Amino acid sequence: MNGKRSNIFAIFWGMAALLYFFVPLYGTFDFSLRMERGVLGFKAYELVFADPRFWQGFRYSFTMAIITIVISVSIFVPTVYWMYLKIPKARPIMDVITILPFIIPGIVLVFGLIRTFSRPPFQLTLRSWTTDILMVAGYIIISMPYMFRAIDVGMRSIDVRTLTEAAQSLGSSWFEVLKDIIIPNLRLAILGGALISFATVMGELILADFLVRPALGPYMVRIGLTKAYEPAALAIISYAMTWFSLGLLQFFSGRSERQKQFVIEE
Amino acid sequence: MIHLELTHIHKTFGTSVAVDDFNLTVEQGEFISFLGPSGCGKTTTLRMIAGFELPTSGTIKLNDNDLTFISPNKRNVGMVFQSYALFPNMTVAQNVGYGMRIAKKQKSEIASRVTDMLSLIHMEKFTARYPYQLSGGQQQRVALARALAISPEILLLDEPLSALDAKIRFELRQEIRRIQQQLGITTIYVTHDQEEALSLSDRIVVMSQGKIEQIGNPFEIYNFPKTRFVANFVGSLNTAEVEVIDPQKGMLDMNGAQLETAGGLEGKSKGDKVMIAIRPERFNFVSEEKKENVLEGTVENITFLGSVVRVQMSIGGSSFNMDTFNRPSLILPKIGEPAQVTCSQKAVLVLTD
Repeated sequence: MNGKRSNIFAIFWGMAALLYFFVPLYGTFDFSLRMERGVLGFKAYELVFADPRFWQGFRYSFTMAIITIVISVSIFVPTVYWMYLKIPKARPIMDVITILPFIIPGIVLVFGLIRTFSRPPFQLTLRSWTTDILMVAGYIIISMPYMFRAIDVGMRSIDVRTLTEAAQSLGSSWFEVLKDIIIPNLRLAILGGALISFATVMGELILADFLVRPALGPYMVRIGLTKAYEPAALAIISYAMTWFSLGLLQFFSGRSERQKQFVIEE
Repeated sequence: MIHLELTHIHKTFGTSVAVDDFNLTVEQGEFISFLGPSGCGKTTTLRMIAGFELPTSGTIKLNDNDLTFISPNKRNVGMVFQSYALFPNMTVAQNVGYGMRIAKKQKSEIASRVTDMLSLIHMEKFTARYPYQLSGGQQQRVALARALAISPEILLLDEPLSALDAKIRFELRQEIRRIQQQLGITTIYVTHDQEEALSLSDRIVVMSQGKIEQIGNPFEIYNFPKTRFVANFVGSLNTAEVEVIDPQKGMLDMNGAQLETAGGLEGKSKGDKVMIAIRPERFNFVSEEKKENVLEGTVENITFLGSVVRVQMSIGGSSFNMDTFNRPSLILPKIGEPAQVTCSQKAVLVLTD
């Protein structure tokens, strides 16, 4: 009896949560389709996709996201691997450090970067490509909590120390252990971190706005100030990109799980 | 010919001593087991041979070459781990051939060696399987083949059967010995299981608290334990403190019961207290003609263990176990009844420490 009642409550609250999330989303989507009076259509989407500034922002943010992912993976995979192998007791410290971007507001990070790197000896904000370096550095910090945690979870799922020792006893150098054993076994974790970092960078506003770079975030805000339907379309496009990333993640992790269910008994 | 030599190996972790003055020489093709309880330093010693730990002092030589500070990937030492440690992203064939791929061998040579190794462990049909598609026993066989594929100078096995069930453990134990003898490879085997050590080894190194207690072949270790620790750890044992009555004749007194021992009282005087040990299977119920080492006691408990029946008796205030083979004609005293048991002089071992 109690079980039935708690099931009803669970369904009720589940439905309430879904409605709370989907009703505004549906409202935005519905609104984005009503650009032409009396007709439901994709006019707002057509205008967004026809705007060269959208594509400029998309290309810029996409490029920044890829560079951020490559550098983040190159930094975090060896660092977390080394931590697991040599200083496992440092994990709680790393946990705190990597969560700092959630605690320190983005605006503080931007002003810190600008004040430090816009004056001699660095003066990185003088040229666009050096500002981009600053952008990537900022993006790496912002996406650090996601990337670290994804790799950390991946490392926890394998016996890093024993696999390393097994590979070493077969003649592998450190580099070969990382390349042949650790990274292939972290593929899913790296993919997870990369996709979440991708979604974060694609929607990031503050860093790009204050460093005056043509990213997708500032473009969306500017459109929002002057237009009515296109921002709604952009919001849906942005959701679609995030969900596509999560869908990919779900697909790959699901495939990996399905493979593992095929176990042969002796 | 000495193949592996460990000289005055000492290892500390902070203030705790893990291995203390460990000395051992291993002949080419010998099967040595490190036997001891958890924390006795056996795995640490093995890891120092593999190069995963550096000794605080002492030297490790393989074929007279000093290995002490050589990195693990340059030692040509094959290792099998308790948790199998197969690479999850590689198939069985890729796992077995990995060491040779790292050594940059020709593809044809790798393929041929992988086939040989899989045939050695009777797993030729499993080449394309991934580790998660294999049972524990199969995974450990593959791990063994992988370690042997690089033709190592020495094979190290760190409790390789601990994670397996009893039946597979028994089968794999025989297979390990067969392969070791077939290849003639020098092998160091770490275990806390005395049965494994006794059944596999040419020699056993019994360790306790970082120190070697005794080195000997299985027969010596079981029948002539030198210390109380070895006697207690290897096989089950009855121990009791006794008083020396006549050191020349080997006469002892155990709370009024007279015992004789065949030796081990050198340097002892009348009235000295010594510790003796008697294996449960060395006792017999007294037959009429038996006169030496007759002990009287009361039967406290009788336990059937399948092929063996264990009778627990109270003798001279101490509790003694006595094992006898189970057979249909076996006549046993009842619980609470008095009984007489006997053992030979050689069965009474005087422990040194």
